[in-house]
Amino acid sequence: MMKELLTRMRFLLKRPKTAELDEELQFHLQQSIAANVAAGMTADEARRRALVEFGGVERTREQCHEQRPGWWLGTVAQDVRYALRGFRRNPVFTITVIATLALGIGSTTAVFSAVDRILFRSLPYAHDDRLVSVGLVQSLEKQEFTLGGFFFDWQDQQRPFEAVTFEHGTSECNLSEANPVHLQCAEVAQNFLPTLGITPILGRNFVPEEDLPNGPKVAMISDGLWLSRYDRNPGVLNKTIMIDDHAVRIVGVLPRDFEMPRLQEAEILRPARIDRSKQNTVNSGIGVPLWAFARLKPGVSVQEARAEMEPLFLHTQQWIPAQFRNEFKLQVRSIRDRQMQEAYTAAWILLGAVLAVLLIACANVASLFSARGAARERELAVRSALGAGRGRLIRQTLTEAFLMAISGAVAGCVLAEILLRVFMAIAPTGVPFLGNAQLDLRIIVFAVLVSLLCAAVFGILPALERPRATALVGRLTRSGSHARLRRVLVTAQIAICMVLLSGASLLVKSFWNLERQNLGMQTRDVVTVHVPLNWERYPSGQAYMNFYLRVEAALRRLPGVTAVGMTNSLPPDANSWHGGSRLADVFVGGKARFAPETGGSVVARTVTPDYFRVLQIPIVQGQGFTEEERSSSGDLMILSRLLAGRLFPQGDAIGQHIQFANYNPYFRLDGPVFTVVGVAADVKNAGLAGQDDPEYYELRSNHHSETWDQHHIFLLESTLPVSVVTPWIRSQIAQLDPTAPAEIGVLSQDVHKLADRPRFETSLLGFFALCGLAMAVIGLYGVISFVAVQRTQEIGVRMAMGATRLDILRLIAGEGIRLIVLGGVVGLCAALATAQILMSLLYNVGPRDPWIYAGVALVLAIVAIAATLIPARAAMKVEPVEALRYE
Amino acid sequence: MAPSTDLLQGTLDLLILQTLALEPMHGWGVAQRIQQVSKDVLQIGQGSLYPALHRLEYKGWIQSDWGNSENNRRAKFYSLTATGRKQLEAELESWERLSLAIGLVLGRIPEASA
Repeated sequence: MMKELLTRMRFLLKRPKTAELDEELQFHLQQSIAANVAAGMTADEARRRALVEFGGVERTREQCHEQRPGWWLGTVAQDVRYALRGFRRNPVFTITVIATLALGIGSTTAVFSAVDRILFRSLPYAHDDRLVSVGLVQSLEKQEFTLGGFFFDWQDQQRPFEAVTFEHGTSECNLSEANPVHLQCAEVAQNFLPTLGITPILGRNFVPEEDLPNGPKVAMISDGLWLSRYDRNPGVLNKTIMIDDHAVRIVGVLPRDFEMPRLQEAEILRPARIDRSKQNTVNSGIGVPLWAFARLKPGVSVQEARAEMEPLFLHTQQWIPAQFRNEFKLQVRSIRDRQMQEAYTAAWILLGAVLAVLLIACANVASLFSARGAARERELAVRSALGAGRGRLIRQTLTEAFLMAISGAVAGCVLAEILLRVFMAIAPTGVPFLGNAQLDLRIIVFAVLVSLLCAAVFGILPALERPRATALVGRLTRSGSHARLRRVLVTAQIAICMVLLSGASLLVKSFWNLERQNLGMQTRDVVTVHVPLNWERYPSGQAYMNFYLRVEAALRRLPGVTAVGMTNSLPPDANSWHGGSRLADVFVGGKARFAPETGGSVVARTVTPDYFRVLQIPIVQGQGFTEEERSSSGDLMILSRLLAGRLFPQGDAIGQHIQFANYNPYFRLDGPVFTVVGVAADVKNAGLAGQDDPEYYELRSNHHSETWDQHHIFLLESTLPVSVVTPWIRSQIAQLDPTAPAEIGVLSQDVHKLADRPRFETSLLGFFALCGLAMAVIGLYGVISFVAVQRTQEIGVRMAMGATRLDILRLIAGEGIRLIVLGGVVGLCAALATAQILMSLLYNVGPRDPWIYAGVALVLAIVAIAATLIPARAAMKVEPVEALRYE
Repeated sequence: MAPSTDLLQGTLDLLILQTLALEPMHGWGVAQRIQQVSKDVLQIGQGSLYPALHRLEYKGWIQSDWGNSENNRRAKFYSLTATGRKQLEAELESWERLSLAIGLVLGRIPEASA
């Protein structure tokens, strides 16, 4: 067996000697002649008889050659050489196919690799499909949460879950040893890790005693901290470290891929040590906030779990004050859903777009190959007549398709890598996990296979048909069924392109609206300074106030600075403000203005008088705050026009007294009474795309020192450039407190960042639409020019019979225009039908905006008609004599 | 040309091996020997002879060397290799089994003697 293999190997390496075979055959013939002579024939007769008996030599030669093991490898090389020669002869075809494939494979791979991390990544928990997040939502907090006041009842009485656990949020903490570091500490329930299915890679999980209010102080550390601080030394177990000046013993190390279900950063995990018995007294009797996660029992769906939790929720609802009982809803959803939020829609749309591009690419490759196949009908017929077997012809075609697909795939992978980097560069930070996206091998293989299949199927079709004898002699080479197939493909391409283009245009229009909208304030050159102070160094509101007032005074002294405002949050970001109220909590003159069930929230900001000056928000009624009022004892308020209109439809807002209801824990109206001094113009305050919320401004007054905290942002109006002012600001703050960090930015850039996500979506979809358009145009051009060449002779005959050049133009272009109109109409219907999906991404544009569709149809028509006119014009210019002689 | 009996697939290989088992021979010699021994029933044309010889050589059952023929011409002589000899024995055995079986089916051999 081994020996046989060796022999085969030897022959594989040794080239066959055709000369030897010829000599052998010659010898055979000579012997035959000699035998005939010996039998008594004359020399001539003997030779003639021997030759007749001997028969053809070529066939023997070939058969001997085919006995050689692996002889077909030689024909593959032959096929490859032939294909490469063909590519050189027809570079336009080759480049078109390879470019189409590269675009198709590249964009599909890049987007899928990015989207895969968002949509389909597996969470680092055991059986992550059975993990859900459970809690209440309401208008001010749309991410479900629970409270200590009812969580433990839920935990005890629930039925749909195997286990329910919680985390108590993360907070900043310091590793207060030599070489201190600033960390994030998470507090979790004792059964947190087991419920999520996480096992420490070193040490153990917390034990129940450690989760008791006065239990021993222990912690688990993240793999990252273990590496950076302890160099992955296993001796870290049972080591005592100082966290915020408390001795804490390390009991375990978390796995490398550990992440909190809400994706907060956390280097240290500590037992939450919640005192269950106090949950009806702390935090005004509602208990501490907890974020609950649960593992579904096998076979229980999220919907079923939600239904089973409903009675417990209804019970909890009784316990919520009646005023806003109806605002709370039960929320049960998978952890994945909670993490992904609105990234889902965008990801699915991108995936759809990319599949559309891949479809167009495949259609393009298919129609190009099919056109080429038809053009080569005669060549195939000749080769077949010369003795090439059908298998050989198919193999030849496959070799070509294969070579194209491989080159396209290589180019596509390079393109994909580039695209992915571009995506990561332009992606907003809000798109989770894009940062560590990598090219996905599976999708590369998938895209290459799909395109290979296209090329193979459509390349083989013409070879499969036994080349007709007529193709050898016939002057008209046209295969009807393939022509029809190509027309269908081109129509489909135009239709898909129409869908892509209209989707992209809607997004572009929406993005345009978003960027161009009037924010209601000035953002250019407004410098923002945020100084997040360490609460341990600033233990009281008074301490904060003293520091911030000194900073304000220092900033005012800077040259070029004309105004310094202070606020606790900035529009238009909806997530930046702290606090706020419900519309129903606003009491005017001691009376509620709205029924308790009225929904809707009110944005609250605490500002200084210069806030309005720096942001150039006009006071439309009454007056703004003054500097003197800051130190006076009154509580003053400015309403936004929207809020003033809601509260005082008669326009008598100035001088009214406003109070806010307080439910700690029972309804009380004991807060400060604010006097309305003015009404300010509305400002975009619920995100760039959000519907504006009513808003009010409290004056940041110096006599309520207890209300000062670290949420303070300075706004500077300056006559000097930002780059000049920035180092001065830093040095001023460092003089007051060298440990205070200063985050300095420009408001217009922060606003710009808010548009990152729509910009990302828009540019990606726009890119795909242009890719699709380019490919569809290439396909159309290819088919029409092919048809024109095929019909050259017919054109000659027509012209000889008296057709004008215009008739010819009409003949050729008419074909293309028919395809464009058909494809356009189909595409328009499909686009209108699918536009609804885009709804949630659009801002101030209807998904069926007629102008968009008209514009897209017009552009597509112009580009596509141009693509047909070029070959049609070429056909028009054909000289009749030449055309008649064609071929 | 006398009508030649169609050879069973694989039979030609067996005949060639058997012929070469006696002595090394060139292609012409093999064809002549088979024709003589079969009393002119089996005539092997070059069209099937040489592909078969090459096939057997590629399988490693025979090997070839250039030598001088009886009338002093340069000719390629084929001889059996050790593997070829083993292969011949195996094929002979299976041939005997097969021919016996066919004989039985055709009723030409009384069962008692089988």
